[in-house]
Amino acid sequence: MINISQLLDEIKSSPYNEIVISTPHTGKITFADIKEGDCVLGPQGIWKHQPGTQLATLERERNFKPIFAPDKGEISLVHKKLEGLFAEAGTELVVLRHMLTRDEVQRMILQKALHLFRAPERAKYYFTPEADKKIRASETRTMTVRNGMELFIMSRMKREVPLHYSGPEGVIYEIYFKYNANLEIGAPLIGVCSPAHLPVIQDMIARVQTEWFEKTE
Amino acid sequence: MDNTAHKLLIANRGEIALRIINACGKLNLSFTAVYTAEDAASGHVQLARAKGGEKSLFRISSYHDANELMAVADEAGCTAIHPGYGFFAEDFRFARRVAKRDRKLLFIAPSWKIIRELGDKINTKRLARSLNVPTVPGSDRPIYDEMEADRIAKTIFEFQEQQDITHPLVLVKASAGGGGMGIEEVYDPDQFRSVFRRIRNYAMRQFKDEGVLIEQRITNFNHLEVQIVSDRTGGNPVHFGTRNCTIQSTGLQKRIEVAPGFAPDVLDYTFDAAKVLSDIVDYSLTMARNVGYDNVGTWEWIVTRKGQPFLMEVNTRIQVENGVSARIARIRGKGDIDLIAEQIRLGLGQNLGYTQDDITFEGVGIEYRLIAEDPENSFTPWVGRIEHFQWDNAPWLTLLTHVPQAEPYEIPVEFDPNLALAIVWGKDLEQARQRGLQFLHSLQLTGQNASGEKLKSNAAFLATNTESILRF
Repeated sequence: MINISQLLDEIKSSPYNEIVISTPHTGKITFADIKEGDCVLGPQGIWKHQPGTQLATLERERNFKPIFAPDKGEISLVHKKLEGLFAEAGTELVVLRHMLTRDEVQRMILQKALHLFRAPERAKYYFTPEADKKIRASETRTMTVRNGMELFIMSRMKREVPLHYSGPEGVIYEIYFKYNANLEIGAPLIGVCSPAHLPVIQDMIARVQTEWFEKTE
Repeated sequence: MDNTAHKLLIANRGEIALRIINACGKLNLSFTAVYTAEDAASGHVQLARAKGGEKSLFRISSYHDANELMAVADEAGCTAIHPGYGFFAEDFRFARRVAKRDRKLLFIAPSWKIIRELGDKINTKRLARSLNVPTVPGSDRPIYDEMEADRIAKTIFEFQEQQDITHPLVLVKASAGGGGMGIEEVYDPDQFRSVFRRIRNYAMRQFKDEGVLIEQRITNFNHLEVQIVSDRTGGNPVHFGTRNCTIQSTGLQKRIEVAPGFAPDVLDYTFDAAKVLSDIVDYSLTMARNVGYDNVGTWEWIVTRKGQPFLMEVNTRIQVENGVSARIARIRGKGDIDLIAEQIRLGLGQNLGYTQDDITFEGVGIEYRLIAEDPENSFTPWVGRIEHFQWDNAPWLTLLTHVPQAEPYEIPVEFDPNLALAIVWGKDLEQARQRGLQFLHSLQLTGQNASGEKLKSNAAFLATNTESILRF
């Protein structure tokens, strides 16, 4: 059994995350009016439809791509020397210090409480078409999985093999992977919660909701 | 020859990028290479650092992103792009964009109209049929509709039964696929629909197009190729002989290529093998002349046990196995031919400078594709860390690899686990075979993966199959 109080205390002792923002592709960099120590916002609104604070613009093939802060935080480093230069893909632009939100803490704790089914290999993962349809069509957290069920397609070097779920029967509570992205070996794919375990999980969530206060910066 | 006015962007990775860098060296041509984060340890990155001049290496987000390549080409001052194979090779939209943008670049490939015409297997089939070049029975356009697919499959099954074929087979393949990926065969008409659906879903995921081709699966055949080379005039294509690529993995991926395509002087065939070779060369040149083919390309053929050739497709690009044809070719008696350098030289606009009569062939070449895979387990790719990779050098051996020998190398899972190409030359088939085995036996290749399992390679598979080279 997980000691929720101890876990929360651990997280509280270091409630920050460092977020590095790099160029997604090549292009010429123009920084927005930002400096170290500024507080920036992540995407806002009910559907996260308003982008975060703009940090820079990347121009490539006459297209201007704004680069926004992916999350709330305080700017701890800006690589101003890159201003006006052509940058390679993956060049570090800005570093943010981000205070963990309630949702993030909840996700961290859930990762410890749920049964995680992990990637057996470094590969890309997809749900099987049947599972994919069910997950898309139904409400979240209603799809039940059983031990031995064919649930995923594992794709490496364009070669695909079926992957069977192994673990306790339960609902898919969290999905941790995205299509078309490579996952490291051992990375969690889904978090499964058995019906018997559900009240415990809901209890934990309630604890986080009441005990974690988000700092407003 | 003055190439100082040009600079070549190498829009590819691994072993082909290495070969293009080396060809640039021969042509005294400056270049720019690109790489992604996964490839930081690849040999092509190291060679580009060692041999490149100013602005000769850029990290990009993906080899599949055209904007990345154009942006780097402009930044580095490139005037031409070499697509290598895979990625943007055979992509006529990319070729057209390169040729039509404000800052125009030369595309080292046939012109985009030819790529469009021949890059499409189905269009090629229609063109071949119009020139009386033989093709495989089946659909000559992509099929999206299940009912229609079912009808075509039924016709092909019936056709084979009428011809007294005891085990009729239908081949289902992704129309947009290539390189042997996304192909399945059907032996039971009742299974056809489920295979069709599976391939259609696979094609959608991997190639973003659901189109599927359905044709007769011809078993018991040899896979031959004709290497065509032509300059920008398109008027006088020449051939660099034939290759036999019959030895493949279960997934229809080539593993051993031999030039020339048959050896009628030392082996017995049930048909006139010399005539088949000269026929497929003639058919290929006829088509090349008809479309005004203006760079290097390969015409791929299957030859049945009765000696009937069928055109399968045209690859409008340089192929992996070009080196084995170059190895046995001589121009005005001179060897050491580099078809990639020829491709670049002609692509930049120079004239061919020789005719078919100047090209001769000597001996037999064998190319082995050394791959980290498990042939005993349907050629499953093996991923892990290579710790030791060594072989005995010989004057008759050319080894091309992007795997560094000085330090361990982690095979990236994003790409095929090709480790090396070994090209062996012998004055005749017997000597080539012996040297091939000598090379394979000298090979030292070890490593392990995350769970501590030993490296698996296809070296034993290559050695076993060396015996049956060029035998039908």
